[in-house]
Amino acid sequence: MAARHLFLAALLALLPTMGAKAQTTDIAVKAAFLPRFARYVEWPQRALPSGNAPFLLCLVGGDPFGRMVDAAAQEQSISGRAILVRRLDSAAAAAGCHVAFIQGSRTQPAGQLLADLAQRPVLTVTDAVNGEQRGMIHFSVVNGRVRFFIDDAAARRHGLTISSRLLALAIGVRH
Amino acid sequence: MEPSRFLRALRNLPRAIVAVALLIGLGGLTVVLQNEANYQSAQKTQAEGLANVLAASVTAAVDFGDFTAAQEAVKAYSVDRRIRWIGVYDRSGRVLASLARKGISAPARASAAGERPTGALRASSSIVQAGQHIGTVMIEIDREAWSRKLSRYVLLGGLLLLTALVVLVLGVTQAQLRLVNLELSARAEALAQANVLLEDQMEQRARAEEQLRQSQKMQALGQLTGGIAHDFNNLLTVIEGSADILTRPDIEENRRVRFASAIVQAAQNASALTSQLLAFARRQPLKPEWINVNELIRSMRDLLDRTLGERIEVETLLCAEDCPVEVDRAQLQSAILNIASNARDAMHARGRLTIATAQSAGESGSLVELSLTDTGPGMDAATQARVFEPFFTTKAAGRGTGLGLSQVYGFATQSGGDVQVDSDLGKGTTVTLRLPCSLAQRAAVETRAELANTLSSVRILVVDDNEQVGAFAEALLADQGHQVVRAHSAEAALDILRERDFDLVFSDVVMPGMGGLRLSETLARERPNLPMILATGYSEELVVSRNEGRPVVLKPYRLTTLIEAMAKVLPARPV
Repeated sequence: MAARHLFLAALLALLPTMGAKAQTTDIAVKAAFLPRFARYVEWPQRALPSGNAPFLLCLVGGDPFGRMVDAAAQEQSISGRAILVRRLDSAAAAAGCHVAFIQGSRTQPAGQLLADLAQRPVLTVTDAVNGEQRGMIHFSVVNGRVRFFIDDAAARRHGLTISSRLLALAIGVRH
Repeated sequence: MEPSRFLRALRNLPRAIVAVALLIGLGGLTVVLQNEANYQSAQKTQAEGLANVLAASVTAAVDFGDFTAAQEAVKAYSVDRRIRWIGVYDRSGRVLASLARKGISAPARASAAGERPTGALRASSSIVQAGQHIGTVMIEIDREAWSRKLSRYVLLGGLLLLTALVVLVLGVTQAQLRLVNLELSARAEALAQANVLLEDQMEQRARAEEQLRQSQKMQALGQLTGGIAHDFNNLLTVIEGSADILTRPDIEENRRVRFASAIVQAAQNASALTSQLLAFARRQPLKPEWINVNELIRSMRDLLDRTLGERIEVETLLCAEDCPVEVDRAQLQSAILNIASNARDAMHARGRLTIATAQSAGESGSLVELSLTDTGPGMDAATQARVFEPFFTTKAAGRGTGLGLSQVYGFATQSGGDVQVDSDLGKGTTVTLRLPCSLAQRAAVETRAELANTLSSVRILVVDDNEQVGAFAEALLADQGHQVVRAHSAEAALDILRERDFDLVFSDVVMPGMGGLRLSETLARERPNLPMILATGYSEELVVSRNEGRPVVLKPYRLTTLIEAMAKVLPARPV
């Protein structure tokens, strides 16, 4: 009911008074979102996992989520396939991933990582918190809510099709 | 239609009609139920469709916990007024977004949806993406309002009702018709029965009428025969008495003559009477003669005196000039006698009878008016009107035949004239007979009469089966100086003729065996030169005109008549 709804919202709204807490919440949401994106993406046939092989969700360059993303990934399945989380250092290693969260570092900037993954059918996800470089999906907190931008053009270039349902949720879409 | 009749008709509705009406009703009901079921399932499908569509549109929103987006999607359905509430629930069943009509609330948990109210339809749809159950959409909508349902069925219902009514009316009409038919057939039967009864009664009536007619005829006949017998008795008394006196040997000449004349007169009266009867029976043709009425009356004076009796005075006022009339003498005499005897009876044998003749001009020539006036009491108008009716008489039974005046009437009209009665109560009666004057000559008649007296002796064969009549004829002719032979039958006559010659055959017509007519034919063939005279009391046979031109004398005949006939057939001989 709306009342309950409001209560929850209020509760959540109260949390941002403790900034850290709020950030933790954002990360939780982002961690929850990550595995879900895969549901709304179509990979080319050759990139799909064969048989009952799981989808691979890779964290490249950094892991801000910790166990949260593993927990989230465990809850999800896509067309009956599980989602496994991998933490990787290089883009090369991420070539076989389906979804890759890119966090740039001084040694490996996000842009570089993204460029290395060019031509590969990998759904790249970036966070505004980490920098300006945008992957196909780019997290951003707007009005206290975790939203995301989608670069549909880039996705298509890489052979990926993003469902319009997801596009509808995006705060902004690049066609 | 009166209510009682209507009810009767309803009760008598033919089963077929009732069955049809029921079937229509049943059929209608079935259609409605079927329709309803279809509609219900359609509604269900629609609700489910709604839920499905919503589920599809909120998939990502629910997946990513974007209740704002979910709420927006839900809000779009607020337009549909039939929606009671919508709830969008996440995987754990908690509500993410909802919409509810005023006064209702969507359940907070999918599992807490509660009992569905009867007027509502509920549908839910799982939100699934890529095989993963993400959440649930639940929707509750109103069932179709009764008013709308009714309005949908109004037309059908109306039609059905109309049909049922028509069928009912048909049935009622038919039932009524049947009732009416029954009534009609009952009446027809009653009518037929009444008809049978009527016919029966008519038959009975006809029979009764016939019986009445018969008895009336018998009565009339009785009257007639009684009257005739009485009249004849009178005449026979005179004849017998007179004849008896004549048998005495020592009788004075004038007395003898008187009594002989009396017999003659009585016989003549009798003859007149029979001729009256025969005329009535239409067995006597009129034998017209040229008659001078005045002369006739003068010659009848004696007869009239005798008929009327001593106490009635007879006065004759005969005109100076009169013309001859061509009528049957006997009939005219009889007519005059009839009128005279009526006058006598009316005057109760005392009074005066005035006989007058006059000549007048009529439409087609001159007429002779012969009137007889009495001093009796007269007649009233009613009696006057019926006076010429046959069998009508004012006299007591046995006293009159009632035929007299009807015969006068018949005679008058047959002779080309008429008869009229003038009477007033207390003033007497006048009967006027009008006859047309004849234009022909009477010379020939007289010549023949002269000739008759100068006939010389001839050989005559008299043929008659009756002994008395034959003997009389024989005597009569023999007295005239003729040679007479008598045959008792036509066959005997033929036998005699073969042996001997005769100058004349005088034969009766009605005889057993070969009759006079056949004898006449035979003689005409075998002996064409032999003259023949026929005698008959009836004219029936002669109507057939088989007399071959032979003269016919009617019985009873007078000597002069016979002599005239003889003069006609015999060749003239020198005197």
